[in-house]
Amino acid sequence: MARWSGFTNGSSEDCLETVGGHQANDCCLNVAHVVRDQLDDEVKLECLFHQLLSIYIKEKNSRGIVRPLPVMIGDGQSLDLYKLFFSVKERGGYAVVSEKGLWGLVTKELGLNPQILASVKLVYGKYLNEFERWLSKARGGKNFKSGNHECNIDFKSVPPELAEEFRDLLSRDGELKDDVSVQLLSCKMRSNIDLINHESEMNLLDKKNQPPICENVHSILGDVDLKFCDSVEDDLVSMNSEVSVKEFSSRKRKREAFSSMLNWIRKIAKHPRDPSIEEIPEASKWKEYKGQDFWVQILRAREALQLKSCDKPNCGQSPLQKQKMHPALYEDHVAVSHHSTAKLRWSKRLPTSIKSQICSCCDSRSAIENKLPCSVTEEENASLEKKTAADGSLNAKERANPSADDTVKKVVAIGPLFQAEVPKWTGVVSESDSKWLGTQVWPLKDREPQPFSDTDIIGRGRQETCGCQVQGSVECVRFHIAEKRMKLKLDLGLAFYLWGFDRMGEEVSLQWTPEQEKKFKNIMSNLPSQNKSKQFKYFPKKTRKSLICYYFNVFLIQRRIYQNRVTPNNVDSDDDEHEFGSFTDGFGMEALKGPGYKFLECSLNNRCTELE
Amino acid sequence: MGQDTEVGGVSLPSGPDAKKRRVTYFYEPTIGDYYYGQGHPMKPHRIRMAHNLIIHYYLHRRMEINRPFPAAPEDIRLFHSDEYVDFLSAVTPETLGENTFSRQLKRFNVGEDCPVFDGLFNFCQASAGGSIGAAVKLNRGDADIAINWAGGLHHAKKSEASGFCYVNDIVLGILELLKVHRRVLYVDIDVHHGDGVEEAFYTTDRVMTVSFHKFGDFFPGTGHVKDVGAGPGKNYALNVPLNDGMDDENFCGLFRPVIQKVMEVYQPDAVVLQCGADSLSGDRLGCFNLSVKGHADCLRFIRSFNVPLMVLGGGGYTIRNVARCWCYETAVAVGIEPDNKLPYNEYFEYFGPDYTLHVDPCNMENLNSPKDMEKIRMTLLEQLSKLPHAPSVPFQTTPSTVEVPEEVEEDMDRRPKRRIWSGDDYDSDHDEDVKIGPRYSNIRDVPDEMEEEKPEGPPSSS
Repeated sequence: MARWSGFTNGSSEDCLETVGGHQANDCCLNVAHVVRDQLDDEVKLECLFHQLLSIYIKEKNSRGIVRPLPVMIGDGQSLDLYKLFFSVKERGGYAVVSEKGLWGLVTKELGLNPQILASVKLVYGKYLNEFERWLSKARGGKNFKSGNHECNIDFKSVPPELAEEFRDLLSRDGELKDDVSVQLLSCKMRSNIDLINHESEMNLLDKKNQPPICENVHSILGDVDLKFCDSVEDDLVSMNSEVSVKEFSSRKRKREAFSSMLNWIRKIAKHPRDPSIEEIPEASKWKEYKGQDFWVQILRAREALQLKSCDKPNCGQSPLQKQKMHPALYEDHVAVSHHSTAKLRWSKRLPTSIKSQICSCCDSRSAIENKLPCSVTEEENASLEKKTAADGSLNAKERANPSADDTVKKVVAIGPLFQAEVPKWTGVVSESDSKWLGTQVWPLKDREPQPFSDTDIIGRGRQETCGCQVQGSVECVRFHIAEKRMKLKLDLGLAFYLWGFDRMGEEVSLQWTPEQEKKFKNIMSNLPSQNKSKQFKYFPKKTRKSLICYYFNVFLIQRRIYQNRVTPNNVDSDDDEHEFGSFTDGFGMEALKGPGYKFLECSLNNRCTELE
Repeated sequence: MGQDTEVGGVSLPSGPDAKKRRVTYFYEPTIGDYYYGQGHPMKPHRIRMAHNLIIHYYLHRRMEINRPFPAAPEDIRLFHSDEYVDFLSAVTPETLGENTFSRQLKRFNVGEDCPVFDGLFNFCQASAGGSIGAAVKLNRGDADIAINWAGGLHHAKKSEASGFCYVNDIVLGILELLKVHRRVLYVDIDVHHGDGVEEAFYTTDRVMTVSFHKFGDFFPGTGHVKDVGAGPGKNYALNVPLNDGMDDENFCGLFRPVIQKVMEVYQPDAVVLQCGADSLSGDRLGCFNLSVKGHADCLRFIRSFNVPLMVLGGGGYTIRNVARCWCYETAVAVGIEPDNKLPYNEYFEYFGPDYTLHVDPCNMENLNSPKDMEKIRMTLLEQLSKLPHAPSVPFQTTPSTVEVPEEVEEDMDRRPKRRIWSGDDYDSDHDEDVKIGPRYSNIRDVPDEMEEEKPEGPPSSS
């Protein structure tokens, strides 16, 4: 590996550039030979990796997401993506590395300063995480990439035995193996290759301009597929029965029942004039056919899709919106989260994946109506084409609207499935159940009026100064909190307990033994990847609730005590990954285990003696 | 605390509203124990922290505080679909793996953003029960302002969980309000678009929704300024798309004229304000730069119209600031200006190292240019001008609740006959408010009306 670092930084970049520069044919062919003749396994793998990556990056770039190569981090060092990729893979992938806090190790292994592990992680997240997903997608779709003809040629030029070799090489890396070998083996047979791509409107639009019609069909297939997922439950059940169920591994969201039909379309798309395909009769005779044939199913599907979008005039957007919430779409989303422990929670910040899916739906609708008939029954029905042309223009108009703002607009769904039922105003007031008033806790019902005037205390903060020896010290603050609690207890009476004030603050720790507390802290600090279920195993006698209570009322407060006094410029009570550890890596944990860790133990000891 | 009003505050003398409000606040004591799961930014504990601060400031002396009645599945079905409610009430972390649920998890968007956690449905019941309770309180005329910090979960859809929200307590609360009130105005100042509520009432003119939110490459992606409602509800949905770094002055400069105009044109009988605290500066998920005072100014302004008001929580992911914000807003509701130095309390250390109620906004760049602001303001005011001055619902006085006719009579003596703001007695110089924002800098020194208020005994409970 070490002796190849030169290659990586030098010639492999050349390779990348040339691939990018449309001279891929020569270069890669070249490389392939070199690989076979002289180089060891790793290099072959590496070269393949860079080829794939460059294709991927190029695709990204074409969608406006710029991922410059080579990657420079730290103070101008270039990062070897190949090494990084496999180093992480070896350890079980991004998620596992993050969980176990191995980023420091990975960074070191790459010969970089462990302090920049955050950047390394970021680079992985930005470049390779999606790349990985892209690979699996490519595998899933059995297809490779749209519009990248150079690349296809490359692979075609790789002799079959070499492809085998690759496969063997790659067999170490479980996931990658499938991706690449499937694609290597299959690429020979393909003259036109594309990836059913749901992610980008841009892509679909691009394809529209590309000459080979089969490409369009491929993209449409994806759409049909997606559409079917959506409509199968409601409208197209009838179709189910007639379609033979076949294994079709193209996508996991697939409804198998339609796979043979889709295969059929695919076939036609590739060989439109294939004599083995039966002729499709005149449009006027369509009604006589009952649905055994694939083309009938397709027409029916198309009809159903159109119906859905057209039948209710003011519900034009509803199918679109239904897709929005359809699980099939969500699955991609789930897939995203599996690749990273950053999890979907962050989707609040990173909604793009949802959004782009939506836009693909909106686009797919127009694509399907535009293209389906002309590709399936190219010669036969001009009348149908006219109709779809009209549809097409309508859709184009719809599409033009959001694009004017440069963002794809989500449309608000309309229909009884979405709106609340609002009754007309009649002037007659219906009675509300008084149960909704709940239980009055305050003012206490059986209580004398307040003993003192509340001007004194309402809205009042703490005193400017106190008589404590070290003002603001942990002891000082604890003392005043205890003092205030006593006052409040007197004032609130029963409400003190009704509101659970007895279960607030560090006093919660009184129900814990020092050993238990220590154990809790150790678990929190040392085993960041611990998930909850495991954590509870450590405390068989504690309920889940009491652990959470302890966490918020004691553990976090003690952490904050430390932060407030030692790192006042960097306080954080919210990032419980640091403590519970699912998202952040070893970097964060290491920082936390610094002086603060010791301090916590000290404070624990102090407090215990205090309480005794 | 006069000095505080000078520091970055935007509080205005609220005109003729120096009148005391009867405030009811719903608090479920177990709410802080619910836990979405490790690493999840939504933490119900923040509601307990807010409650803790509220009590330590003795604000309870000015309120009635109730424990909400949990909403039953059939109550939740008034908005949500049967299947969805059945699912929510049945699923538990233990039964997650069962076949019957795995399909539904995806269908209802439950799993990642919206995980299944212990007591999920109880949490929803408490949240919804509080908001429905708040609505009933207002319906009966028992309170002028009803607060439920556990509510405000504005993303939940009819058959879908979304953005940490499962049951849309707001929609349920508004439906309850609609039993007695002809028109309800919903205002949303969460940094995220209030899509669930907007969608639920997109085609009705009995509810007008106004949402101020970050727009553009941000969850949930809806809330375009051109989304204005449909059918009879056309122009009754108002969206104010904003950009990163929104500060007090800009926000106020947009919020006040827009809401002023909405109140004038729509004349709601009741207002629901969603006070999502993720629009505060330094929020973990948000990207605005509002101070607690700037945030609370929205409440202060709406309160000044003297219309029955429901105040709900919402987002907010830097929990110490959420507690600060909702405590301060509770104080604004009851008409108290609390000290900046926090009283000692169980969660005191959360608020270090400064231990103050207010935190300064950061110096992040405000990407909202004055030109953009002006453009949005003009667009919105134009949309509002399209509304008929008297909305299509027949205009008649609010009938009294059948249950408690005498109480209502009594209430009427204690407040203006028509509880809605008439449009001209708010503030002598409100016309200027409509025009521009920058003038707010001139009025910061004006003492807050609240300080002049004479304290009274705790509100009688019945």
